[in-house]
Amino acid sequence: MARQFAYYPGCVAEFSSKELNRTTKALAPMLDIELLPMPAATCCGAGDIAEAKPNLYLTLNVRILSQAEEMGVDIMTICNVCTLNLRRANKLVKDDPRLLEAVNEELVKAGARPYEGTREVTHLLWFLATEEGLSLLEKQGPKGLKGLRVAPYYGCQLLRPSSVMGFEDPDQPQSLERLIRALGGEVADYEAKSKCCGFPILLAREAVALKESHVALSQARDSGADCMVTPCPLCHLAMDAYQRKAEAANATEYNMPVLHLPQLIGLGLGIDTSIMEFKRHMVPVNNVLEVVGS
Amino acid sequence: MPTSTFDIFRYQPDTGPEHFRQTYELEHDADLTLLDAVLRLQNEQDGTLAVRYSCRSAICGSCACRADGKTVLACMSQVEDLKAQNGGQPIKVDPIGNFEPLKDLIVDMDPFWEKFKSVKPYLVPDGPAPEKERIVSKEAMQKIYNESKCILCAACYSECNSLAADADYVGPAALAWGYRFAADERDGQRTARAKLYSGEHGVWDCTRCMYCNERCPKGVDPRDAIEKLGGIAFNEGVSWADAGARHAKAFLISMRTGGKLNETLLVPFTNPIKSQLDLPFALRMLSKGKAPSPIPHRIKKLDEVKKLMKNVKETI
Repeated sequence: MARQFAYYPGCVAEFSSKELNRTTKALAPMLDIELLPMPAATCCGAGDIAEAKPNLYLTLNVRILSQAEEMGVDIMTICNVCTLNLRRANKLVKDDPRLLEAVNEELVKAGARPYEGTREVTHLLWFLATEEGLSLLEKQGPKGLKGLRVAPYYGCQLLRPSSVMGFEDPDQPQSLERLIRALGGEVADYEAKSKCCGFPILLAREAVALKESHVALSQARDSGADCMVTPCPLCHLAMDAYQRKAEAANATEYNMPVLHLPQLIGLGLGIDTSIMEFKRHMVPVNNVLEVVGS
Repeated sequence: MPTSTFDIFRYQPDTGPEHFRQTYELEHDADLTLLDAVLRLQNEQDGTLAVRYSCRSAICGSCACRADGKTVLACMSQVEDLKAQNGGQPIKVDPIGNFEPLKDLIVDMDPFWEKFKSVKPYLVPDGPAPEKERIVSKEAMQKIYNESKCILCAACYSECNSLAADADYVGPAALAWGYRFAADERDGQRTARAKLYSGEHGVWDCTRCMYCNERCPKGVDPRDAIEKLGGIAFNEGVSWADAGARHAKAFLISMRTGGKLNETLLVPFTNPIKSQLDLPFALRMLSKGKAPSPIPHRIKKLDEVKKLMKNVKETI
């Protein structure tokens, strides 16, 4: 029987980066997982609501956790920022029963279900980068990435703070590398793979953010990568949608296609490329498709 | 006795302008700290090797450096642990990041201290001094306990990704101290502080890379302090002044009206003028289907969310 998760794609994957949501849903049956919708779940607040109204952030996120609890399943995300916000709220209330009680009081007052603290939040990457996940990929008889040189890009919030995230060593992460190799790709290694893409301040401080994304984009280019891959749609926006702007701001060229993690898996498993909607990317991925022969 | 190899950053401005690296070997007891290793190298092998230190006990914050790329307090790091982490390779030792080196592992801390001073890191109580001391409850001190632990070692500053892109950013340590006083119930400058920290190169410049929380050797969690300063700015009503604060406000409005982020609102609301000038970019996004629907999404049970937004009080 397929493993069930409460599916929390996050706002960006549902709206401006629909290709991520659609590819994930297309992959799910091949990975033997069932993604159950959460129609009453809000935005996680993306760190912004936490920065304006911390108690409200906590209450809203515990409300989401409680919905998964009612469904009797754990949450699966496809976004670094959602993962951090949900996991942080979960840890805060699990570590402090009095805080959980106070939050539940508010939830009940608003007509929402209280949370018992029994659920976990995972990211698709974490699920797949385990022995169980890798064997699911193996079972599909991957067609392979045919030596595609892929620069793994983690970004920040799936790694740090490790006291909340805790899946792997934030200074020597290997989960993306394991997946790239398992799918027949080559890893293009570079130092900045876990530096910030600048997205959280991209709208408010564009010049600063474009200097941040430059570090990873230029290093990935210099490592000889055919493309980058990221588990986060916000990193994807910073690296793909804003890549031309970063080129102009830093007087250089990257020409670096950036794939969402599920797209890389889709290519490795050989699913129909039209499902993955590469046409929605700002930087063309033609060279990637040529190497993999899709 | 184990033997370890150290690959150390060198800069000796008296003899030449170039940076270079030097390798040293040392036989030592199993329980040697990185600071003691460097001091032994200085005493036994190379008197020119420069390092700043004082207490050797993780209290003074002087000996922060990078070990294998990661900022640590040298006095808190065991050589054998570092070797276990790097697979027995030579340990790379460098000065902390986001600073100019003065000599070997010693950096010019002046910009750090200037920024620290700029947040007014001292109590400014309202009214005349009382006859006896001001008594503060345990609960009130608990609010600023984490930030009070800061030893100004600059490990957070060394790794800050915002600072790497903007040398004028005030940085995590200074803002943690800012919060420590803004949230101190004896301080009378809360609104003034909220304004002071909310400008360009302040609270809203944090890129949330979370390196500061990860690296702080004392558990200060500077990013959490910056976040709380954002909350104070909202509470004190200074939240319209900066594009970063308006960005957060757009999330609150989205939450109230639909429960999900309304991307159509986010860009013009954060930066009304710039978003008009950026029309060619907006059109490129549009052509790729990246322009969100003007009709905001509406989640089920939005009434619960509206009630929470009305009821939940901020205690910052």
